[in-house]
Amino acid sequence: MTETREEAAPVAPDIPTGRSRRVRGRPLLYTSYAQDMALLDTPAKRLWTLLLVALAFGLSVLLQDRSLEVLAGAYVLAIGAIGLNIVTGYAGQVSLGHAFFVAIGAYTAAALSGPVDGENIGFGIAEVWLWLPAAGLVAAAAGVLVAPLAGRLRGLYLAVVTLGLVFLGEHVFKEWKKLTGGPGVGREAAVPELFGVRLDQDGPFGTKEQVLYTLMLALLILFAVAARNLARSRVGRAFAAIRDRDIAAAVIGVPLTRYKVLAFGISSFYAGCAGGLLYTISGYVEPGSFNLLLSVQFIAMVLIGGVATVSGAIAGALFISLLQPVTRSLPALVPFISGDTTQTPNVFQVETVLYGLLIVLFLIFEPRGLFGLWIRVRNYWKSWPFSY
Amino acid sequence: MSGRTEAAATIVTRVRERARRDPGAVAMRHKDLGIWQEVTWGAYWTQVELVAHALLALGVEPGDRVAVHAENRPEWLYADLGTVAVRAVTVGLYPTNPPAEVAYLLADSGAKILIAEDQEQVDKALSVLDECPELRRVVYLEPRGIRGRYDDDVLMSWPELLALGAGHRAAHPGAVARRMEEARPPDVMTLIYTSGTTGPPKGVMLTVANVEFAVRVLVEGGGFASPPPSERDLILSYLPLCHVAERAFTVWFNAAAGVQVNFAESIDTVQANLREVQPTILFGVPRIWEKVLAQVDIRLESASPVKRALTRFWLRVADRIGDALVRTGGRHTFWTRAAYGAGWLLCYRALRERLGMRRVRYAASGAAPIAPAVLKFYMGIGLPMHEVYGMSENTAIATANRPGRVRLGTVGEPHPGAELKIDEATGEILTRHPGNFAGYWRNPRATADVLDEDGWLHTGDVGEWAEGTHVRITDRMKDIIITAGGKNIAPSEIENALKASPYLKEAVVVGDQRPYLVALIGIEPDTVGEWARRRGLPYTTYRDLSEKPEVRELVQGLVTEVNTRFAHVEQIKRFAFLPKELDHEDGELTATQKVKRSAVAKLFEDLVEGMYAR
Repeated sequence: MTETREEAAPVAPDIPTGRSRRVRGRPLLYTSYAQDMALLDTPAKRLWTLLLVALAFGLSVLLQDRSLEVLAGAYVLAIGAIGLNIVTGYAGQVSLGHAFFVAIGAYTAAALSGPVDGENIGFGIAEVWLWLPAAGLVAAAAGVLVAPLAGRLRGLYLAVVTLGLVFLGEHVFKEWKKLTGGPGVGREAAVPELFGVRLDQDGPFGTKEQVLYTLMLALLILFAVAARNLARSRVGRAFAAIRDRDIAAAVIGVPLTRYKVLAFGISSFYAGCAGGLLYTISGYVEPGSFNLLLSVQFIAMVLIGGVATVSGAIAGALFISLLQPVTRSLPALVPFISGDTTQTPNVFQVETVLYGLLIVLFLIFEPRGLFGLWIRVRNYWKSWPFSY
Repeated sequence: MSGRTEAAATIVTRVRERARRDPGAVAMRHKDLGIWQEVTWGAYWTQVELVAHALLALGVEPGDRVAVHAENRPEWLYADLGTVAVRAVTVGLYPTNPPAEVAYLLADSGAKILIAEDQEQVDKALSVLDECPELRRVVYLEPRGIRGRYDDDVLMSWPELLALGAGHRAAHPGAVARRMEEARPPDVMTLIYTSGTTGPPKGVMLTVANVEFAVRVLVEGGGFASPPPSERDLILSYLPLCHVAERAFTVWFNAAAGVQVNFAESIDTVQANLREVQPTILFGVPRIWEKVLAQVDIRLESASPVKRALTRFWLRVADRIGDALVRTGGRHTFWTRAAYGAGWLLCYRALRERLGMRRVRYAASGAAPIAPAVLKFYMGIGLPMHEVYGMSENTAIATANRPGRVRLGTVGEPHPGAELKIDEATGEILTRHPGNFAGYWRNPRATADVLDEDGWLHTGDVGEWAEGTHVRITDRMKDIIITAGGKNIAPSEIENALKASPYLKEAVVVGDQRPYLVALIGIEPDTVGEWARRRGLPYTTYRDLSEKPEVRELVQGLVTEVNTRFAHVEQIKRFAFLPKELDHEDGELTATQKVKRSAVAKLFEDLVEGMYAR
């Protein structure tokens, strides 16, 4: 008896544990962490997600080409918004420079896929799967270069610095005519080609809009799932820790600089990809479009949709994009609003005012955005028949 | 088991059998760092075998006592079954037992080995080590605060115990199997200490035969649930395992029927754990059922107006359904089924899900009397609720309301195979069946008091037949109040009617040899606190809250309402508030949260006298 007690550390024999099975009909009984963190943890969620995705793909045959174009644009903006949400929503680093990274992506893609002997820089690589990652990577590289600033600055100061990026970029893009074509002139955007098939032309798979719509939807799903997975990983938890309190995060062992750089890098990657794709629909890029308004639009998408949620960013992007056709039809309904930019008030001013107003209203009444509204509705029924 | 003399089947052989047949199936789950960890039958049996070998290595002989002082957790079962495997006797201690009681229980049982959960329980044992000369080893489960700090030769960690078992198994393979072969039905396998409302706790000796009889009646005969419990059933284990009821539902149901046991994290997390586990079989003591009912009330009060109005409506419907079910004995009529169906869609399904009772197919209340109104509420929202009756001395086998034959206010019909009669002179309930215990531990005189020569067990409960089939219990014999006017009054009926209100937690009716009845009342701080908060009534402590004139008014209303249901002599003329919450630690409650009447009456004598003085 005493002999066993004198052994250094008696080791209890290994006893195999269970296989961690899900128990039928008990959605809250988790027998492993994987179940606890699963994206689609209940059959109901799986079913609804499947239906939603099927409906989204089905829209390509149900809707008019004009609407498909708007939606395709919205999906691309959603990719950009998810990117901004990663750095601003998850990691809490306010960035007003998103338009700058979008521009880098747009021009990288345009230059790579442009004709070799054209007016502007071009390399003639039109395959999407080549220029899209490249656009993302170049933007990510720019993001990584900027990131060290975020290591030193916080909140308002960071916002001002990133705002500076937009002005810097605007100037460079206006002046670098070989790349951008210059203000008012512009250049042709990236050409989407997949294994030799042009996607921006009517073809065997449907009209140009149908094909682009399907491409953008598929890419959006890819990027959204990637972002959701990032958010529930170690990296995502590190981001959240930094957002909630960077000093506390550093104390519990999160390397601040590394994760801030990572946040900017990933966010810029998303922005770059969105930039590359955004102009393939219209086929034309103008350097004046990467201004502060574009950044504010992305901020609006994130805030209106829902901070730190992927579905919120998508909802916000859809909301803002669908707002445009509505405001554009205003002159027909409200006589004193003009459709002409030279007159005041015109629809573009109304749009800008609306973004501002919506941001203010959402921040005051529902800071969690559209996603927060959904959460409210869901919780109302989830807590039935009580209130908590 | 083809020996020369047949070895008795025990719960251990049943577990071994299951481990052989289906080693990968889930035997139990316990929550660890937010995850319900599974224990398979294979792992269960391995642990039991290791503990049994370790006990052999520690020199445990047949008949030796092994005490377990822990909350419900897998190790409790490993220790229990390991002990039974080596033909020793398990003694359960309540985790809330204060050191003095621990000393008494360890010394009285003469435990050789103590399995203590954590530093708290180890401290209790170490402080009374001198009073327990037979105690040789204290095995602790949680090393926190003990490892590296305590240097006592008597201590041993759980992994050390298992390692010892593994060593012994390697050296003497088959030693445990041989010991199990020697098991005989008259072997005492556990001591269950009575709660001791009147005197010091007495150890009830239950034998292998007793438990096998209980298993036959409850599990294989479907004495409670119908169809009988099976591997597909889940239960939540949260009441103290040293009590016979929880032992039956957790250990015996698990071993005999393969019911999956899920251990609650603690008594405070029962509601959350219930929601996660959604058990199919649920046993509760009245306190639990009352508390859940009170919670429903509180949470409804703070719900939004629409939800409140709708739910109130459906609860009124549930009340009507409950009334109808009470009349039919728990069988649905066309009307109740239709009303319940509509209510299920809009309210009951969600309500039961929130309470963690969505999938309950059999619910039981026992161990203490409960107000019929509480049971009716659960029947109304669709829970098949049954009041059952039994005690440690008859291995929990006496009567039960059977599905479809429920008589509210009764404890049901005697189990098949169990004889039950009511003494004509005293009205005392007597039972006789193979589950009757072998006697009180080291206390033949007390044994002779309750177990007569004909084998009848005197339960100490006064009861009567209802409709010739069901048994209604009036009260504990010792608790019957005889007023100065010579009237016999059963206080528990009045007390339970009072405690059915969500605002009241304790009610102790006093009036023996007195001109009229008075009551000591303890409010339920959660509900009354919420009630006061909604009225903007500021308060600080429990005592301050109960001394508010508004609260007195509230309780006066409840008492007056209850009085209308009783005859004149049975009415509460005056009441006083208990200045504190009753507590086990202070000796006012037993470990099972039963009020020790004499202790309370003595402690608050001035309050009682004050009510008669005016």
